[in-house]
Amino acid sequence: MIDTGTRQVRTVCNVGCGMSCGLLAHVRDGVLTKVEPADFPDPKYRHLCARALASVKLVYHPDRLRHPLKRVGERGDGNWQRISWEEALDTIASRLKDIKERHGPRSLTWETAGVGMLDVAYARFAGCLEATAVSLIGFGDAAGPCGDRASFGVLWGEGYQTDFDEPGMCVLWGNNPAETQPFGMRKVRDARERGARVVAIDPRFTPTAAKADEYISIRPGTDTALALGLLNVVMDRGLVDAPFVEQHTVGPFLVNLATGRFLKESDATANGSPGKFLVWDTATGAACAYDSAVARPALSGAYEVNGIDCKPAFEMLVESAKDYTPGKVADITGVPPDTIARLALDYATRRPVASFRGMGLQRTFHGDLTFRAISTLAAATGNIKAAGPQTPVLNTRAFLRAGGRCNFIPVLKVYDAIARGDPYPIKALWVAKHNMLNQLPDTRRIMRDLLPNLEFIVVADYFMNASAQYADIVLPACTFYEQNNLLVPPGGSPGVHNYLQMQNKAIAPVPECKPELQVLKELAERMGFGEYFQQSEEEFIDLLISWDHPSVAGATAAKLKEGPFQTQPYETPDFMTPSGRMEFYCEKLIDLGQQLPCYIEPVEGAGRPVTRKYPLTFLNTHTRFRTHSVYTNVHWLRDLDPEPVLEINPVDADPRSIVDGDLVRVFNDRGVMKLRAKVHQGIRPGAVNTAQGWWPQHYIEGSHQDLTHAYVNPAQQAIYEPNAALYDVAVEVEKVPEA
Amino acid sequence: MAQRYGLVIDLDRCTGCCTCVVACQMEHSLDHVSGIRVETVGGQGRDTPGGNHPLLSMYYLPIPCMHCREARCIEACPLEAIYRRSDGIVAIDDARCNGCEACIEACPYGALVYLPERDRIWKCNLCAHRVDAGLDPFCVLCCEMEAMFFGDVDDPTSRVAELARQKKASVLKPELGTHPAVLYFGGTSADTTFAPSTSSTST
Repeated sequence: MIDTGTRQVRTVCNVGCGMSCGLLAHVRDGVLTKVEPADFPDPKYRHLCARALASVKLVYHPDRLRHPLKRVGERGDGNWQRISWEEALDTIASRLKDIKERHGPRSLTWETAGVGMLDVAYARFAGCLEATAVSLIGFGDAAGPCGDRASFGVLWGEGYQTDFDEPGMCVLWGNNPAETQPFGMRKVRDARERGARVVAIDPRFTPTAAKADEYISIRPGTDTALALGLLNVVMDRGLVDAPFVEQHTVGPFLVNLATGRFLKESDATANGSPGKFLVWDTATGAACAYDSAVARPALSGAYEVNGIDCKPAFEMLVESAKDYTPGKVADITGVPPDTIARLALDYATRRPVASFRGMGLQRTFHGDLTFRAISTLAAATGNIKAAGPQTPVLNTRAFLRAGGRCNFIPVLKVYDAIARGDPYPIKALWVAKHNMLNQLPDTRRIMRDLLPNLEFIVVADYFMNASAQYADIVLPACTFYEQNNLLVPPGGSPGVHNYLQMQNKAIAPVPECKPELQVLKELAERMGFGEYFQQSEEEFIDLLISWDHPSVAGATAAKLKEGPFQTQPYETPDFMTPSGRMEFYCEKLIDLGQQLPCYIEPVEGAGRPVTRKYPLTFLNTHTRFRTHSVYTNVHWLRDLDPEPVLEINPVDADPRSIVDGDLVRVFNDRGVMKLRAKVHQGIRPGAVNTAQGWWPQHYIEGSHQDLTHAYVNPAQQAIYEPNAALYDVAVEVEKVPEA
Repeated sequence: MAQRYGLVIDLDRCTGCCTCVVACQMEHSLDHVSGIRVETVGGQGRDTPGGNHPLLSMYYLPIPCMHCREARCIEACPLEAIYRRSDGIVAIDDARCNGCEACIEACPYGALVYLPERDRIWKCNLCAHRVDAGLDPFCVLCCEMEAMFFGDVDDPTSRVAELARQKKASVLKPELGTHPAVLYFGGTSADTTFAPSTSSTST
C-alpha cells in the first residue's frame, strides 16, 4: 500500500561528494523511513546515488554515538566514560581557556569536513577567539584549485569548460564520475547520445572508461606530459585557435627575457603605465600597450623594446612545448605516439571539447601543473569559454568575522604546526565530521609526531571511528537529516546545477545528539562570547544570502524552504587573473621555474631513487560504495564491497607469485598495509590500487594511509595551498603466508 | 492482448552503480538481499574487465526477476504460492509460501532468494504496490543513469515496447522458452561470460 500518513521533507545530501543532490525524505511518526530523488525546477537535475539512499542507515545505525564520552586511561586504549553534555562542554571550555592562556589563541584549532555553509560556523567560532581554522581542501583536492587559480583566477575552473549543448568530445581525464559523481556521468552519457566522442584517460579501466569510445591507459602522474605533447602536435600542425589566444589569453603579451616578467608600458616609455601590458604590433612593427585597437599583435617572434629582449608569451609556450615530441611523451606516459597525434587532432577539430579534469590528476605531487597544462591545451584549441563562472557570492565575511578573525591554515601545514610549532604551535584540535586519522596522509607520522603534541582533542562525529578513538572528549554529532543547512551549487564538475538549496531538517536530532550550531552556542556562552551564536540556523542563512550581491538577489531562508533557488546572472570579469585573461604564463612561479606549464616527474615516480626499492605506484582511488570514509559500516553498501583489496595486474603479480585472493603485504619506508590481492587486467602494470575509505580495522594490518606522505609542494603554497599527493606513492608488494 | 508489465534496460547507460540494488532494499525493507543484482560482464568478478590491458571491455547486467510468461517458479512451487497477476507481474503470496526453496532451484536466472529471518522466499515484484498507485518501480525511479524503463512490454504502442523494437532488445536465455518480460539492449564486450542473446523476443 502507498503510505498516506507520511510527511515528505525536501533536503539535500550533504556527505561530501559535492554534487548537492536534492533528496525527498519520508518521515513517519518522527522516524526517517526512506528517501527518493527530489524534484528540481529543472527536472534534469533530479538525481541520487546508492550512497544517498544508504545515508538513511547512518541515522539509526546501531553503532551510532548517542552521548558524549570522555577518555579514561591512555589515548587510544578504548576506555570511555559516558558523561553529560554539561560536563563535556564545561570540560572543553575550561581546557580551551587554559591552553589559550598558556599557548596563545592560535593554538586552538577547528577543522570540519562539512560542505554546508553553516559548517563554516566553526571558523566563526574560531574567529571569536582569534584562533585557527584548518582549510581541509589540501587533503587531496587543492592542486586543481592551485592550477585554476593560476590559469583563471578562480579555484574551480570547471565553469570555463565547454557546455554540452552541441558536444564534440568529452575527455574524462583522471576522472571516474560513474563512481564518484554519478550525476556528471549522466551528463557525459547524454552528451555521447547527442554525438560527442568520449575519451577516458586513466591508469585504471574504470566503470567510466568502460563507457568511453576510447580508453587511453596512462602511467600515473604523467598527464602533464601528455597534455603538453598534445599541445605540441596542435602547434606543429598549425591548429592553434589564434584569435582566441590573442583575445583571451596572455599569449600576445611580451615577456622580458632577462626577468621573465611581462613587459609593461612603463618599461618602454617614461610616462607609460605600469598597469598596461605591451604587445608587438605587426602592423606598425613596434611595441605598444595592448588595447582592442591593436589590429595584429604578434604571437610569435623575438623583439627588442627599449633595449630589452622580449618575446610574446605564446612564443615561449610554443618553444617550451617543442620538447614534448610524441616519441618523448610516449616514453614518459606509455601512451603510443599515434594515439597522441590522433587525440591532439580531436582536441582541435571536434570542438567544443569538454575536459573533465578529475581529482585523480590532483593527487600527484605536481598536480597543479597538470591542471595548468590541460587548461593551456584547451585555451590553445579554443575549448575554453571566455566568461566568468556564475558562482553565487554569499556574505561569508559577515558570517565569518563576527567577534574577530580566525587564522586559516592549510591542512598539510598543520603537521609542522603541531609537531614543531612551525609557523606557530597548535595544542588543541577540534575535529568535526572529519575522520582525519583515516583520511589524512602518513598515519604513522600523525601518531608519532602529532598526537603526543596535542594537549586536547575533541572529536564530533557519528561513530567511534579511527579519529574518535584518539580523542579526549567525543561528541555525538547530528547527520544532515537532523539539522538545517545551506548548500551552494556544486563546483567540481562541468554542467552541474546552479541552485542554492536548503538542507531542511527532516527529523528531530536522535536523542542526545546535538546539532553543531547548538553545541557552539552552548560553548560560546561558557567562553564569554555567547552573543555571536544566538541566531537560529535560518537567521544565519539569511545573514549569508540576504545581502546586496546580484547573484542571490531575492534569496531568503524562507524562500529556500519552499524549494531550490536559481542563482541570478551577474556581471563578472571574463577571467579573475591579474591580467584579466587566461594566464598560461604565471609570473608568481618564475622563481620556481614553473611560469609555463612543464612536466616534472612525480615525487615518487619512475627514476626517483625511492623507486629502486619500491617500484610500484600506489593509488587509493574513490569508489561508488563510499564517500571518503563514510558508509564503510553501512551494510547495504558493505555487502556489495565486503573487504579492501589490492588491485594488481598479472604482469606485476606473476613475478611475485601472487594469485587472485592471496594475502599480500604492501609496504614502503613509511608503513605497511596487509590485505588480499585482486589480480586483474583493469589496472595498468606498474600501478596498484586500493579503493580508499576503508577503516583501519578492515585491513588485516595497517591501512592505506600508512603508506602515503604529506610532502608540501612550494609552488602550490605560492599560488594557494599545498595538496596531499595521495596517488604519488612508491610501494613494493609481496605475498605473505596465510595467518 | 493482456497486460504484461516488465522492464527494458539500456546496458549502454548502466554503469553498475548498484543504486537499483539498494533502492530495492529500501523500498522493501530488506537487509543483505535484494530483488535485483548487478553482474559484471567482462572478466572474473565485479568491476573486472575482459581482455588484456589496455585493450579491455566490460559492461554491467542488472538482473531482477524476469516476470516470465512461462515462469518455472510458478510451476515448481508445491504450494501454489507464486502466481501471476492480471498485469503480468509474478508475485509471491507470503501467506502460502513456506520457504521450501523449490522455486530457487527452478529459476534459471537466480532471481529468488531465501529470507532466513522470515522463513520466506523473496523476489522482485516490480514494486506491485507502487505500480497499483500509478508509480514506477522504485529502482526505475532511482536509477542514476536513467537506464531502466518500466511499462507494458506486450502492448506494441507502449513506450517500452517501442524502445525494445527500435533498439532490437533481447532477453536472457531465450532458448529456455521462458519469455521474460525484462529486455535488454546495448552492452558489447569481446569476452562475455553471460551475454544476452541477440535474438529478440516473440512478444
